Amino acid sequence: MLAFLGTAGLVAALTGASLLVWRGIAASRSDARADLVGPANLMLVGSVVAMGAMEIALLTDNFSLAYVANHHASTTPFPFDVATAWAALEGSILLWGLVLAVFTWAVARRYGRSPDQLGAGALAVIGGVGIFFFGLMLTVANPFEVCVEAAQNRCLTSSAWPFAAVDAPLEGPGPNPLLQNHLMMAIHPPLLYIGYVGLAVPFAYAISALALKVPGPEWLRRSHRSTVVAWSFLTLGIVLGGWWAYEVLSWGGYWAWDPVENASLMPWLVATAFLHSAIVQQRRNMLQAWNFVLVISAFSLTILGTFLTRSGTINSVHSFTQSAIGPALLGFLVLVLVGSFTLFSTRAHLVASSQRIESFVSREGTFLINNLLLSVYAFVVLIGTTYPLILEAFTGTQVGVGEPFFNRLAVPLSFLLLLVMGFGPVTPWGSADVGIIWKRTRTPLILGLSAGLVTAFTVTRIGWVILAITLGTFVTGAIVGLLLEQTGRRMSKLEVGRWEATKDLVVGDAPFWAGQLSHIGVVLIAVGIAFSANLGAHVEVEMTPGESVEFAGFTITYESPFQEQHPNKTTRGARLSVNRGARFITTMTPAANFFGDSAGISTPDVLNRPDGDLYATVVDFDSESATLAFDTSPLIGLLWLGGVTAAAGGFASIAVRKRERKAGQERQKADV
Amino acid sequence: MSGRWLRWAGLGIALGTVVLAVVLASRFGGDPALVDSPLIGQPAPAFDLTTLDGGDEVALEDLRGDIVVINFFASWCLQCRAEHADLVASSDAFGEDDVTFVQIGYQESPSESLRYLEQAGTSQWTKYLADPGSRTAIAYGVFGIPETFFIDPDGVVVGKIIGESDAFTLGATIDAIKRGERPGQAVTGDTQQAPDR
Amino acid sequence: MSERTRNLLSITAIVLLTVILVVVVASSPTEADRVEHLGTQIKCPVCQGESIANSPAPMARDMMALVSERVAEGASDTEIIDELLSAYSGAVLLDPPASGATLVLWVAPLVALATGASIIVWWRRHPGSDASPEAEPQSRSRSRTLVGGLVLAGAFAVVVIVAGFFLQDREGPAAGVANLEGQDLSEVSNETLEAVVAANLDDPQISGMRLALAERYYEIGDYSSAFPHYLAVAEAAGASNPEVVTALVRLGWMAWDGNGEVETAIGLFDQALIIDSDSTTAMFLKGQVLWCGAGERNAAADLFSDVLADPELSEDSKALVGSSFEAVTRGEPCA
Repeated sequence: MLAFLGTAGLVAALTGASLLVWRGIAASRSDARADLVGPANLMLVGSVVAMGAMEIALLTDNFSLAYVANHHASTTPFPFDVATAWAALEGSILLWGLVLAVFTWAVARRYGRSPDQLGAGALAVIGGVGIFFFGLMLTVANPFEVCVEAAQNRCLTSSAWPFAAVDAPLEGPGPNPLLQNHLMMAIHPPLLYIGYVGLAVPFAYAISALALKVPGPEWLRRSHRSTVVAWSFLTLGIVLGGWWAYEVLSWGGYWAWDPVENASLMPWLVATAFLHSAIVQQRRNMLQAWNFVLVISAFSLTILGTFLTRSGTINSVHSFTQSAIGPALLGFLVLVLVGSFTLFSTRAHLVASSQRIESFVSREGTFLINNLLLSVYAFVVLIGTTYPLILEAFTGTQVGVGEPFFNRLAVPLSFLLLLVMGFGPVTPWGSADVGIIWKRTRTPLILGLSAGLVTAFTVTRIGWVILAITLGTFVTGAIVGLLLEQTGRRMSKLEVGRWEATKDLVVGDAPFWAGQLSHIGVVLIAVGIAFSANLGAHVEVEMTPGESVEFAGFTITYESPFQEQHPNKTTRGARLSVNRGARFITTMTPAANFFGDSAGISTPDVLNRPDGDLYATVVDFDSESATLAFDTSPLIGLLWLGGVTAAAGGFASIAVRKRERKAGQERQKADV
Repeated sequence: MSGRWLRWAGLGIALGTVVLAVVLASRFGGDPALVDSPLIGQPAPAFDLTTLDGGDEVALEDLRGDIVVINFFASWCLQCRAEHADLVASSDAFGEDDVTFVQIGYQESPSESLRYLEQAGTSQWTKYLADPGSRTAIAYGVFGIPETFFIDPDGVVVGKIIGESDAFTLGATIDAIKRGERPGQAVTGDTQQAPDR
Repeated sequence: MSERTRNLLSITAIVLLTVILVVVVASSPTEADRVEHLGTQIKCPVCQGESIANSPAPMARDMMALVSERVAEGASDTEIIDELLSAYSGAVLLDPPASGATLVLWVAPLVALATGASIIVWWRRHPGSDASPEAEPQSRSRSRTLVGGLVLAGAFAVVVIVAGFFLQDREGPAAGVANLEGQDLSEVSNETLEAVVAANLDDPQISGMRLALAERYYEIGDYSSAFPHYLAVAEAAGASNPEVVTALVRLGWMAWDGNGEVETAIGLFDQALIIDSDSTTAMFLKGQVLWCGAGERNAAADLFSDVLADPELSEDSKALVGSSFEAVTRGEPCA
């Protein structure tokens, strides 16, 4: 029954998508207004029904579905059984489809009253993407296959026919244990997917604009909301993914330049560039070619990421199991890239902007530099991730490309970006007067350098940390300075208090100031990374029960060992009490799994504190003693705070309603 | 001008994509973690290890002139358990020949390995050795177990099996080496890298 | 304070601060822990992309211990890396070397940055004709577009094919453990067969291999080695009838030829004939034993004539059996 429901939902969604394509293409070429809202609704209803069927199956332990039989166990605790819907391959595509349907519905709502060829074209393109994903689910990645031959706790053979004779196992293996020990499993994938899928909207508008030969900022304007939403969720998803890795995996790291992590960073970098560059086109009708290239690349990179995780071509922590979906995704990727760029080249004349940048010393100029830096950054990550594959394919030689390579390039690029982040917002549009820029940046520069010096004499002399503090202070100072300057002007012009002026200013140009909030978030991330990566302390000690060790201002006492027996392994951990001076803080219980006397995966314990975390890991256990490793991550909390702040800025930029903003803008005159 | 330039740039990117896609496509069906051993054709790294029960010392040098089969194993490795009977049978069959089997414990204490062997059975001709600090495993570039190396009478590594082996493969490889061939590297299946992975 | 003074003060401050900062940072002793630094460049072979410095896996720690030892012994960074490279190949490095195949990775980012920057600068300096919708050639004739599209598709196809030629196959996991059936056993040694048999005693299909092995021993006259295998085949539940018959026949002959046991041999031949009453080999050999061992010429002659009556008998066999028949009927001593 559920299989039928789910399959029916998918069929409905596919039908909706197909109708969107059919009618959308027709409507984009004529003056008639087609009913595109109907198909969009159908797509949404279909995918909701499908996901609903899957969730019901999971929550009621219905093992007749092969997906449930292979990935779920009745003992899986509550939020994780819901999350099992996207824990494995077919389910993750189901989530993708659902998110796509929601975005499509949102886009269809904005389908204009009057003949709206651009909108129709965009809906047709999104429908095309939908056809691919729902088609995938009805062919090679079917989440609703029914189990027709069961083994003890999984399904051996399944059938796509919903009414096949069911032979369901009594129990399933449950999700991978690594995916069960943190709530983030339920949250991180949906956030990421919203980010990935959301980029399909500006992509669709871009293709529509190219196909219909409609240059100009219209397509940007209409897709702006989706772009920002996607970017914000992508930011959140990546940061929370890092947080999850940090809390759960025993290496205390939040980023490993793992190929799949890179696959999420690349679209983020390009989407960030696109977000910024779009502003230029909307304001000054420049950088149009850049914008097309950036949005096509961003969407393509999300497909590339989806491909890399599921195709078995790259070895990664994130890999799903290999299946026939690999070739399908690759084919789709090729279609998207080749089709888009070919279309782009045929419209090359149109795309070449009519406006030229007059001077690099201008807001547009800084955005251009921003584009360049972010694109090179994305390019570096791309070649680092794919070069081993390419080299091996052509020569058979195997090389490794990991953290040292990426850090070598990413760190300087990041600092350059921070620098531009400081200068950009204070640089006026059009050929700017260097004097104004100088006036706005001289004090922040002095402040930044001073802060750097203070850090050098009080905290550390490590160059990266000082650079982060210097640039971070500079950026923050520049933002605050601009705020003060402009509120000051308002105060005198409109004769209002500081608070009133600030409110007015911020609401009046909400996207700009929300963006500055995001920049502050980035500053926090930079400082958090710099401190935790360079100033962390590490110690490894062998301790017997009752022994204490002094580390980073903490007194850590090994109270006692504990042990949990499982059929195939023993979990052994150490109970530690952590004090600061005389004050008791908490108990930590790092543990590790032992198979015989061989150590397997260890689960660390983390003490989160505002000034930095304390990390405890079990390295080895003896009959009398335990070998424990302790690490500190100073100011790592800033990373998570910064990430959330950056995303919040994104949401804030579209949260302020149009009416309020217009009102604010009315009062905003002669602001540079 | 710029329009034309953009056109060519766009087409160039499209073409580049196609090449990348072909490359990625060629990687299907393969094992992404598989690495070619650089040891094939090279002199075998020397070792001088003690047997698991601590009684004897065995150096690779001492075995020069024999075909040496080196197998890395551990009790927590499922494929190792599956191939164990075959290793014992092969060692017994080739026992009196100039073929010596060496099994080296990997990431496991000698006592644990001994306990496992007591239950799984041993061959009187095989040398069961302990590898403290995994130095030998590192020298042989072990990525996971089971991995089995074949060394010819001149001390050169001429073959490697990644994954579970069986009596036929082991024997056929030894026969080939006796004929003077170099079997090279073969993958028969998955290896295990840690007790729970 | 006048603007000018402000400016001067600011510039001085900035320059001064920067200089001091740079000096302070540069003068700080970089305690590069060499072992740690090396460790971050080496990938832990049993982990997912972590370096041996950062991974708590036992193997990673063992490798770090090795690196520490080598550093203490005075080895250079290159020597230590080379030692690991010779064991693991380049895949164990996290930092691609700045030479050879990976030089590209070091150079490409800089090239990209430079290219991007120069394009931007150049583009600004040479604006080119103003692009506007009118500038686009008015009507591309359908055939031109079609031809263009076909040429493009053709170019892509060529690229795909050419690239395909240069690609190396990646080894996939082989089809599991070797299948016992259908293997070419001609180059396989006796020891290998012994090992396979010993390792697969429970496998019902092992009889074929056992028989092959036994035949080899038989052919060189090594009856004692052949015996246990023939016996096992004869008693195996999963052995096919022809296999059992062959085994029994050989056992019978070995009993007579090796030990002179007439009764046992006859018994074994009879067992074979129960299973396959047309077995000419069994009949012939039984006849031989009856003749040579028991002196029963008539029975032997009967058997030989039964064999000769078989229409599918080969010429050589006919000759052999024929001559035996002749000899036994003439009353000659057995040969």
